[in-house]
Amino acid sequence: MLDLVQNTLDGIAAGSAYALLAIGFTLIFGVMRRLNIAFGPSIMVGIFLGAWVHVQWSAGLIEAALATFIGALLASIYIERLSFAAIRGDAALASMASSFALWMQLEQGVSLAFPGRTTAFPTLPPLPDIQIAGLFLGGDDLLVLLSAGLVLLVLHRLIYHSHFGLEMRALADSAEAAAVSRININRVAFLTFCLAALVGAVAGLLIAATDGQITPKFGLWATMKGLIAMMIGGLGSLRGALLGGLVLGIVEAQAQWYLGAAAREIVVYGLLFLCLIVLPGGIAGVRDTGAERKL
Amino acid sequence: MLEIRDIKTSYGKIAALKGVSLDIHDGGLTCLLGPNGAGKTTLIWTIAGILKAQGGSMKIEGENILGLKPHQIVSKGIVTVPENRLVFPDMSVRDNLIAGAFSRRKEKGGVEGDLEDVLTRFPRLRERSEQLAGTLSGGEQQMLAVGRALMAKPKILLMDEPSTGLAPIIVEEIFEIIGGLRDEGRTIFLVEQNAHMALKYANRFYLLEQGKVTFSGEPGAVDHDEVIQRAYLGARKAS
Repeated sequence: MLDLVQNTLDGIAAGSAYALLAIGFTLIFGVMRRLNIAFGPSIMVGIFLGAWVHVQWSAGLIEAALATFIGALLASIYIERLSFAAIRGDAALASMASSFALWMQLEQGVSLAFPGRTTAFPTLPPLPDIQIAGLFLGGDDLLVLLSAGLVLLVLHRLIYHSHFGLEMRALADSAEAAAVSRININRVAFLTFCLAALVGAVAGLLIAATDGQITPKFGLWATMKGLIAMMIGGLGSLRGALLGGLVLGIVEAQAQWYLGAAAREIVVYGLLFLCLIVLPGGIAGVRDTGAERKL
Repeated sequence: MLEIRDIKTSYGKIAALKGVSLDIHDGGLTCLLGPNGAGKTTLIWTIAGILKAQGGSMKIEGENILGLKPHQIVSKGIVTVPENRLVFPDMSVRDNLIAGAFSRRKEKGGVEGDLEDVLTRFPRLRERSEQLAGTLSGGEQQMLAVGRALMAKPKILLMDEPSTGLAPIIVEEIFEIIGGLRDEGRTIFLVEQNAHMALKYANRFYLLEQGKVTFSGEPGAVDHDEVIQRAYLGARKAS
C-alpha cells in the first residue's frame, strides 16, 4: 500500500512536467486546429542553447534558463512562420508534414553542432528531501512540482482573466466567429505559438536540470510524452492536458515499480490504445464534432 | 455609404459572383434576396474580407477597402452578423459580447457602457449573461450575435440570413429587432431567403440570381409576388 502511494507521488512529480508539455501542444492545437509535432524538437533547441552557454561560459542555471527560453522561442517562431503561417489554415495535414520536416532539420542541426552523445546541463539548486510517514519526496521533484504549479497558475490567470486570453479562447471556440469579431487571427495564433514555446521551455528546463545532461533525442521524447498525455486527456482541452499528464506520470511510475522498466512502455501504449477505444474524447470528454472547440 | 462595383469572387474555377454591383445607402435597410446558391453568402463573406474577390472595387465613404483583412474591415465599421448565428458556444454570453468590442478595448468605460446598452436592449441576454452561449435557444443566439455586432459600433451591419432555422414566431421577433435598428437610423444590409418578411421591412432591395444582380427597386414600387417567386425559385423557372 505504501509502495502504491509512493509511486503515485513520484508519478505526480514526473507527470507535472508531462502536463506542461501536453499543455503546450494543446495551446497550439486548440487555437489552430493543427498539430505541431516539431514542438518537442523546438524545446530541444532551447535546452541545447542553454547547455551551450553553460559549457561555453560555465554559466549557471539562471543564464542557461534564459538561453533555453530564447532558443525555444526562436525555434518556435521559425516553425510557426514556415509550417503554419505560410500554409493555409484548412490544410492541417500539410502543416503537420511540414513540421515533421523541420523536426528532422532541427534534430540533425543540433546533432551536428554538438557531436558528443550527451551534453551537460546545469542542475537544479539543492532542496532538502522531504520524508513524512514513510513517504519520500526528493528536493528536485518538489522543485519541479512547485514550478509546474506556478506556471499553471499564471496560465490560468492569462487565459481566463486577460484580454489576450479572451481572444485566444474566442479563436479556439470558433475561428469564423472570431474573424467577424475583429480578432486579428494571425496575431493571436502567433502569440499562442510563443506562449506554448515558453510553457514547453519550462518543462524542458525542469527535465534537463533534473537529469543534468541532455541529448538531441530529447525532441522525440518530449513530443511523444506530450502527444500521449494530450491524447489521453482529450484533444484541445487544457484541463484534459493537465489530467492526461498526471495520469501518464502515475501509470508510468506504477508500471515501472510493479512490472519493470521494460514493461513500462507497453503499459503506457496499452493505456493510450484503451483510451482511444473506450474514451475517444479523452478524460476531459471532448466531443469531437468540429463545432466543439474547447480551451 | 458602401459602394460595390463589379465584384467577382470564385471558389477555385467556379465563379460564384460574376460582377456584382450595388449600393448600400446611409441609414436604412438594404436587402439582398435570391434563391439558394445565388451567391448571397459569398457576397457577405467577400465584403467581410473573409473571401478574396478576384476583381471589382469596394468603397466605404470613398475609401477603398477591397483586399483588407477581416479585422481591418471591422475596424472600418463594417460588422457582420454571420449566418447560423456563429456565437462562441463555450464562452459566456457576457464574454461573447465583450468579444465584439475587441479593437475598442482601450476605451474601458465605453465598452462597459455599451455592454450595459446591449443588455438593456435584450433583457433576455441579461438574464443569461453568465450562461454559456451554446446553451441558448436559436432566437437568443441570434440576439447575441446581433448584440455582439452592436458592441463593435458598426457603421454598417451586415446580416446573413438571420431567420435561418428559426420558428416563424421567433423570425417575427428577430425582424422586429431589425426594424427597430433601422428606425434608429442605422445602416443595415440584410441578406435573406425569407423574401416575404424582408420586403416588409426593406427600404430598398436587390435580387441576386446566379451570381448577378438581376433586379433592384423599392418594395412599394414593385409586384411583391413576382419578386418573391424569383427570390425563391430563380428567374429561369417557368411560372
